Formats: sequence, structure tokens, C-alpha cells
Amino acid sequence: MNTTDYFQLFSALAPEIIVAITALLVLAADLLGLQETPRSYRMSIAAGLTTVGCAGAVAWMFLNRTTGNWHGGMFVIDPLNETVKAVILLLTVFTAMLSVEAKFTRHCGEYFALLLLATAGMMFLASTEDLLMIFASLELVSLSLYVLVAFDKSSRQSAEAALKYFLFGGMSAAFLLFGFSLLYGLTGTTHVPRMAHKLFTLGVDPLGTVALVMVVVGFGFKIAAVPFHLWAPDAYQGAPLPSSAFIASGSKVASFYVFAKVLLLGFSQLGWGSDDSAMGGWMPLLSIVAALSMVLGNLAAIRQTSVRRLLAYSAIAHAGYMLVGFLALGGEAFASLLFYVTTYALTTVGTFGVLGVVEAQVGGDQLKDFAGLSRRAPVLAACLMVFLLSLAGIPPLAGFFGKFYLFAAALKTEGQSLPFLWLVILGVAMSCVSLYYYLQILKQVFVVEADERARPLAVPFLAHAVVVLLAAVIVLLGCAPTWLLTPLQEAIAELGW
Amino acid sequence: MSFILQNLWLIPVLPLLAAGISALLKRPNRSLAAGLAIGSMGASFLLSCMAFAATHGKHGAASRQAHNFDWFALGDTVVRLGWVLDPLTAAMVVMITFVGSLIFIFSVGYMSHDENFTRFFCFLSLFAAAMLGLIIANNLLLLFMCWELVGLASYLLIGFWFHKPSAAAAAKKAFITTRIGDVFFFLGIVWLYSETGTLLFYDSGRGCLEQDALAKMVAHTTIGGLAASSAIGLLLFCGAIGKSGQLPLHVWLPDAMEGPTPVSALIHAATMVAAGVFLVARVYPLMEMQQAGVSEPIPLTAVTWIGALTAIFGALVAVSQTDIKRILAYSTVSQLGYMMMGLGIGGVAVGMFHLLTHAFFKALLFLGSGSIIHGCHEEQDIRRMGGIQKFMPVTFATYAIGMMALSGVPLVFCGFWSKDEILHSAWHYGPSKIPFFLGLGGAFLTAFYMTRQMCFVFAGKYRGGHDAAHDDHGHSHSHGGAHSHDPHESPAVMTLPLQILAACTVLLTLVSTPLWPWLPEYLLGEAAHVDAAKLFNAGTLTLLVVSGVVVAGGIGLGWWFYGLLPAEKPDEKDPLEQQFPEQFAWSRGKFFVDELYAATFVKWNARLGELCHDLDRCVLDLLVSIVGWTTTGCAHVAKLFDEFVVNKLFDAGCGEVRRGAEAASELQGGQIHQYLRSIGVALILFVFILAVGCNK
Repeated sequence: MNTTDYFQLFSALAPEIIVAITALLVLAADLLGLQETPRSYRMSIAAGLTTVGCAGAVAWMFLNRTTGNWHGGMFVIDPLNETVKAVILLLTVFTAMLSVEAKFTRHCGEYFALLLLATAGMMFLASTEDLLMIFASLELVSLSLYVLVAFDKSSRQSAEAALKYFLFGGMSAAFLLFGFSLLYGLTGTTHVPRMAHKLFTLGVDPLGTVALVMVVVGFGFKIAAVPFHLWAPDAYQGAPLPSSAFIASGSKVASFYVFAKVLLLGFSQLGWGSDDSAMGGWMPLLSIVAALSMVLGNLAAIRQTSVRRLLAYSAIAHAGYMLVGFLALGGEAFASLLFYVTTYALTTVGTFGVLGVVEAQVGGDQLKDFAGLSRRAPVLAACLMVFLLSLAGIPPLAGFFGKFYLFAAALKTEGQSLPFLWLVILGVAMSCVSLYYYLQILKQVFVVEADERARPLAVPFLAHAVVVLLAAVIVLLGCAPTWLLTPLQEAIAELGW
Repeated sequence: MSFILQNLWLIPVLPLLAAGISALLKRPNRSLAAGLAIGSMGASFLLSCMAFAATHGKHGAASRQAHNFDWFALGDTVVRLGWVLDPLTAAMVVMITFVGSLIFIFSVGYMSHDENFTRFFCFLSLFAAAMLGLIIANNLLLLFMCWELVGLASYLLIGFWFHKPSAAAAAKKAFITTRIGDVFFFLGIVWLYSETGTLLFYDSGRGCLEQDALAKMVAHTTIGGLAASSAIGLLLFCGAIGKSGQLPLHVWLPDAMEGPTPVSALIHAATMVAAGVFLVARVYPLMEMQQAGVSEPIPLTAVTWIGALTAIFGALVAVSQTDIKRILAYSTVSQLGYMMMGLGIGGVAVGMFHLLTHAFFKALLFLGSGSIIHGCHEEQDIRRMGGIQKFMPVTFATYAIGMMALSGVPLVFCGFWSKDEILHSAWHYGPSKIPFFLGLGGAFLTAFYMTRQMCFVFAGKYRGGHDAAHDDHGHSHSHGGAHSHDPHESPAVMTLPLQILAACTVLLTLVSTPLWPWLPEYLLGEAAHVDAAKLFNAGTLTLLVVSGVVVAGGIGLGWWFYGLLPAEKPDEKDPLEQQFPEQFAWSRGKFFVDELYAATFVKWNARLGELCHDLDRCVLDLLVSIVGWTTTGCAHVAKLFDEFVVNKLFDAGCGEVRRGAEAASELQGGQIHQYLRSIGVALILFVFILAVGCNK
């Protein structure tokens, strides 16, 4: 491209710019003006600014709908990634709202600034088709998240979790970069669609396979799939609660989106390996990872007594289900995948919202801390039931349709005679297993009597509002899944994938 | 698309929301629950009026608009739902929300002593919401869902006082009896779907009630030479028979009186039973499809005859009942028969016209009876009333208006005109004159039994209260004073709805006479004109005179029997019983339909159950036992094998699993270098698998 219309580029980048500027604003406001004021006030101001910034970015995207491609795929805008970015911004807002009541830090400005920087990274991640940009934004996200995990400086667990997360993340980033560079070496380009073309003409060779596995390692870390999941339980447990919620939601959405896009655009022809090659493609590879994740995640979750660790293992299991959706990658399956990851992220944020209240008021995240919650905070208990049953995939909640569409798509793989039937059966069976541990929590909530001294919980208004809103959304999306699915399908159809 | 069409869904959703919210309320939040229910109905009423205004003044096809949307997609099959706005919908929603609001207001007074007040209003709102949803549905499936919700809500409300065994039994009976009709209804739906591939009524030419689908169905001949359209029409009508209490499934309707009286009013006037009639009206295009070689549409013939028989049957039974609500219940059965007959021979306008007018005066009568029951300390036996006119003047006046409308007293009551319309079309019914005479006989009996009831309740002197034998009724109302057993007038919150309904019953007459038949014409989507000739043409006039004479005869005869010499004591023999003891016993026994069912279907069912039980015990149990013995035998063998062979191995295996678990926990042992090592191992393993395992 010879000339660039910088004004146009600026306008296209505006949402990201708004988020980045908000990050700086939050930091400046907190450091310059509010040091003397009480913490709750500072938290509210920072969260408010964050919300306004994110809302501004969303508003800009919806008022100023453009599509375009700058610098050969470095920055791309299409209806699909705008939707994904809107979802990410929404999750950021929810995370910010859940953070308001948190008491783990005095550095309010820094905390929200990092949250926003991570968000900006995710937005870039969603809107690029270039390996370099993917890597750079992934690093922006990861580095922000490492710090967010470490943010509770008074807690040794937090520091330990962050260090593990960082080392594990650094290692897998190294693999990812190695994989990317191999790909560049093979194809001479970092632009994903062009790379796909080149890879297709080359066929699968050993070097390409190594690159592929390395890419899977790198992204497998982000989505916490077995065997790259080891950081997740520690990080979920050690991190401050809003950070965990954000890792489990926003980061998941962005990672799944970009992982699916790289595979779909870059390796679409190599699913099964080509005929003249000795190497298999990524489909057998991912089916192994998916099966391992589903089995290990669900089985390990059964044994947990800490709800946070339980959620971490359940997240691993859900990553497994979603990987099943990868195997059918095509337009419709991609829409199902995005539907699943979006509803999953919303549900998880809601669960963490309830968990946050319980931790703050009861003092722990053990199963027994949830005893008698239905008496102590009936609304929260009801919402928690909605979330957990949705995670387990009970109709008519959103989680059911997510699983249903995903598995249905996996069964419709073209040209093959149900190659992934076994995976779908395994997935359904494992969903049954998952019901056991979700019901374990609900049993504590609804059946087990609370301690006699237990009094009703004082639920902060904001947490209440967020949780109820999310529960309502989950029920609504369960009753009318097309509200989300149809726009996604249309956006994908427009792209012609 | 107009605003109201876009937002028509709000009409059922508002009461539904009210039901949902009040379900969450605690018991003491009484006024909030009532406020929510009444407020939501009021808001729905306003919306309904807008819907009404939107359809008014449009004629022909323009008066019908539908809004459809995708619900979900399974593969290539898209399930679509929607709602439809036409005069039928608009008139029904206005009636339901208006009468419903008044009944809700009345309930505030009637249920004021009940501790489950909040729950009551939750159910009432659900009931109204389901009914409203049924009305606006543009999809037979959606209609069916709401239909079942109506059934559920009626079950909950009839059995509201579930601690009374009779109420619990009545609720069960209503639920099961209507379910019998619903089975056929559902078969009809499935068949309709397989014939047309859609359940939308109107879908700009592709709906199942539109020309293409109908033509296809009528051309398709199935079992017994019936066209598919006729067979489906008959199946759908079976659903209506169950819901609208037509012969032979009418048995649940009188028992439904066990519910609180406002519920009876809601069931009998505005919701539940109207659903069946409405269903026939909604699928009328299907019902009236005429198959080749038959002079009349078969489903409509069935509708006519069942309706006519039900009309006379209900009236015959009502003549001898002594429970004030039961009399009204049988009169509803009879009136529903009229509506069906009207639909069958006169078309949508005739039947629905009577449905609408009936809703007003039947709600009035039921609420009036509720007021009487409330005033007489929960006494329902008309033999123990009498002379109440003195104590409850407002109730008396309004009840009298309702009674005259139901009896069809000429000229100023809407009931007269709508009934006359039905008789008029029955007179011109080609195949047979019998429905006409059945209808006329029913009209005579209606006037007679309503006069009987009026005389028992209001004339003479009060026979209840001081009767020592019945004093101990278990109701110790603390009204205080020496007159604690005298009836008392109900509070304004109860009498006001009565007055409004009474006013409507009279005012509705203005728009329903043949002189200016605005309401019937509106239902057809046509403009009405003032046309004196229509009123004064010979046929109409003769019929007016005939039915006037019949009604006068009925009232006169009733007065002669009961009014001249009002009963003195509660246990006196009924004058009619003295004259015709045998026939009276049949009527009093409701023609022993319940007993017949108990002796046949219920018994057969029980027999079948026993048979299944025996079969289960003698055959299946034996088989199971044999399997069991074999298994036990095998188990003994296995046990030996187990103890000596497997256990050893198992213990070894357990140790292995334990070691594996230890290894797994070491995997998650918090040691970061081990975590990192796993990445490297995975990388190598995966490459190896891809390179070797997938080698083709």
C-alpha cells in the first residue's frame, strides 16, 4: 500500500485508542487528584471511568460501522471482530464493577489501568490477521494479566500464582514465537491468509508440523487446555478475585477467537494432513487435546474442595468442549464456538461475582462456606443456580444451546463419516460428570443448613445488580439463542468463511 | 408496522411478569401482589384498547396483520412463532383484560381473609397471561403452549384450597378431563404440521389457514373418505370439547366450583372455557373447508350438534340444582353449547358475539354469587338463603340484571340479542331444524331456572343462620353483635365491579342490536350501518316475538312455581319435585354422567391397571426372578473367583491407581519446573504422534 489515509486509520482505531487513553486517564486521575480520598471513593471513580471508556468504545463501534484492512492485514475491521470486541469490552465493564468492592489493593489507578491495557491488547488481538501483531498483542494481554494476578501484594498466594503464571506463560510465549518464526521461514509471510495459501502449496512437512504443534502449545496455554493447563488452578486460586474473573472470561473470549481464526484461516487445508505427506494435520492433534481436557478437567474438578479450583478445572473441561467445536471449523461451527465462549464467559463472570460476595462475607471459597446460602442471600443463590446449571448445560439456559450447537456442528463435519462421534459422546458423558460437581455446590447452597450463628449476607448493590443482570441474560439467551447466534452467523457469512 | 402490532406481545407478558414477581414475594406483601396483578391487567387493558383502535375501521383482509419471528433453527427447519392482530384478537383481549381487571379487583375483597392472598394473585395473573397469550398467538404450537398453561393455572386455582379434599379432587378432575381432549388436539396439531409444514396461521400466503395450505389439505383424502382438513378440524375440535366443557367432557366444569368464586368467574367468563370456543373461531377457515361430495363441512356439523345437545343438556341439569354456583356452572355449560352451535351454523361472528356478551353477564353473575356467598357466611345452598334482597340491595339489583341478560329478556339486555342471533341462524340452518328447537327449549329452561334461583335466593325470608342443626358450620366470623348471623352487604371493592359489569351488560346492547349490529360486523371485519329494515323485516320480528314469548313463559312458569309461595324451611321439597319426582331425580343427579363414567371408563381403567399389575407380577416378576436367581448363582461362582483371583489383582490395581493419583498430584504439585517440563514433554509427544501415529 503506497499511501495510507491516516485519518481513516485513526477513525478505525478509535475504540482501541479510547480504551488506551482511558487507561492513562484512570491512572492520572488516581495519582494526581485522589490520593488523599478514601479507597472506596477512588475505586468507584476508577471503575466509573473504566465503564465510561468501554461504553465509549462500544458506542463508537456501533455508531461508526466501517470495514477495512490496513497495512496488509495488520489491522482489520469486520462485523465479526467488532462483535467480539464489544463482548470483550462488556466483560471488562463487568469485571470493573465487581472490582469496586474489592479490598486487596491501595493502588486503584494502576489496577484499572492494567485492566484497560489488557482489554486494549485483547481488542488488537481480535482485529489483526498478522502473526506479528498477534504475538505483540498477546504479550500485551499476558503481561497485564501477570501483574493483575500478582496485585494482592499482601498475599503470598497471589505472588506465587503470578510467578507460576508468568513463567508458564513466558515459556509458552517462547514456543509460540518459535512456531511463528518457523512459519515465517516456511512461507515468507506473516499475513495469515497468504501464509495459508503458501502452506497449502507446500503440503505438510515435518517442519510445518513442528510449527503447528508449537502454535498449539502457545494458544493451548492461553485457553488452558490439557496438558498446558497446569497454571490455571493455581492462578484462579491465588489471584485477586476480579483478576481471576477476567482471566476466565475476557481473556478466554479473545484467545479462542484468535486461535480459531489462525487455524481456520491459516491451516484450513491442513486439518487432516495432505495425501502425499507422512504427517497428520491439526485435527487429530486437537482431538487428543480436547479429549484430554474434557476427561482430566471434569475428573479433577470432582475432587476439589475450593470452589475457585473447581471453577479452574471446569474451565479446563469447557476448553475441551470448545476444542471439539474447532474440529468442525467452518462458518456455522465458528458461530457456535463464539456463541459458546461468549455465554461461557458471561456465566463465569456471574459465578465469580457470587463467589466474590461469599468470600468477602464468609471469608473463604471452600465448599462449606456456601452452606445455607439460599437462606442467607436468596437472590444470589438463585442466580448461582442459573449460572451453574448453565455451565452444566441444562436447558433452557444458554449453556445448553451452546453445547447443543457446538456438538451438532462437530457431527456435521463435511466429507467424513462422523469422525468425531466418539469425541461428542465423550463430551456428553463428561457433561454428566460435570453435573455432579456443580450440584455439589448447589447442594451446599440449597440443602445444607448454615451455621446457627450465620446471618444474612450484606450484598453490595453493584454486585447484586451485576449478578442478577447476568443471570437474566443467561436465561434470556437460553430462551432465545438466536438473538446472539444469528448476528454472529450473519457476520461470518458476510466474511465468506 | 404499527406500534401496537410490534408490541402486541406486551399484553400477555405484563401479567406474566406480575405473576413472576409476585411468585417471589413473601406472604405479607399482600397489597403489592394485588397492586401488581391489577396494575398489569390495567396496562394490558390500555394496550388492548390500542389494539382495538388499530383494527377498528379497517375492513376485509386489511383488518388482519401478523408479526412472525424465528424462534430457533434446527438444521434447515426454522421454528417460527408470531402473533396476529385482527378483530377477533382485539375484541377478545379487550374483553379479557376488562372483565379480568374487574374480577381481580373483586378478589381483593373476596379473598381478604385468606392467608395465601399473594399466591392467589400470582396464579390469577398467570391465568390471565396464559389466556391472553393464547388469544394473540399466530402459531398453533404457541397457542397450544398457552392452552396448556391455562390448564395448569386452572388446576392451581381450582385446587387453591387444596386442604379440602373435594377441591383437590376437582382440580385433578379438571386437569385430567381436559387432558383427554388435549391428546386429540395435539394429534391434530401434529397432523396439521405434517400436511402443511407450518403451524403459523397467517404468514402472507404460506400459513396453514391460508388458501394454498387449505386447498392442499382438502384435496388430500385420508381414512374413511375424510379430507385431511376435516379430520384435522375434528381433532382440533376435540380439544375445544375438553376445554369448553361440551358433551361428553363437561363433567369437570361444575366441579371446578370448588375453587374460590372469583376463579369460577374467571374460568367461566373470560378465560378457560372461552379458549375452546375461541380455538374453533380461530381455525374457522379450516373448519369450514368443504370437501367434495358432502353438503356441509363435516367439522362444523359436529360443532353444531354437540353444541345444541350441550345447550339443552346443561339447561336440563341446572333446573334442579341447589348450589348457587353449580346452577351457574351448568348454565355456563349450556351457554357454551349455544356458542358452539352459533359457530357451527352462523359463523365466527355469531358464536363470538355470544361469547363476548356472555363473558360480561356471566362474570357479573358469578361475582354476584360470590358476593352473596361472602355475605351469607360461605353458605352456597340456595335453600338456606332467601330474602337477601333486604340485606344486599346492590348485589340484588346487579344480580337481577345479570339474570335477565342470561335469560334473554328482550330488548335492553345484550344476552337477548346475541342469543337471538344464534336462534336466527339456527332457523335458517339447512340440514335440520332440530338444533333450532333444542336451542329454543334451552332458552325456555334458562329463563325458568334463573327465575327459580332468584326466587330462592332473594324472595321470602332468610332461612339460614339460626337453624340450629346447621349452625355449627365451622365458620366463626367475628362480625360481632346480635346480628352476626344475618347476611351483610359486601364492601365497595366487591360491589363496584358488580355495578360496572351490570352497566356494561346493558350498554353493550346499544352496539349489538340488528338495528346497528356494530359488534358482530366488527368481528367479521365489516362496517356496520344503521339499518332499520333489517330489524323490521318479517323473519326477524317473528323470531323476536317467538323468543320473547318463550322467555316470558319460562319466567312466568318459574314465578308460578317458586315465586308465589316462597319456601319457608330449608329442607322443604322442591315444588317441581312434587310434580315430577322421577324426571327431577334424573336432573338432580345430573343424568348420572359422572356415575356412568365411574362405572365404565374409570372402572375399566382401574381393571386395566390391575391387569397390568397381575401381568407384571406373574409374568415379568417371574422372569425377573429367574434372571435374579441365575445372577445370584453366577454371583456365587464369581464371588469365589473374586476372592481368590480378582481381589489379589484388584488390590494390586488399587495400589497402582493410588500411585497414579499421587503422580497426578505431583503433576500439580506446585513445582513450577515440573509444570514447564510438561510443556516440553507434550511438544515432543505431539510431534511424535503426528509423525508416527498419523502415518498413512
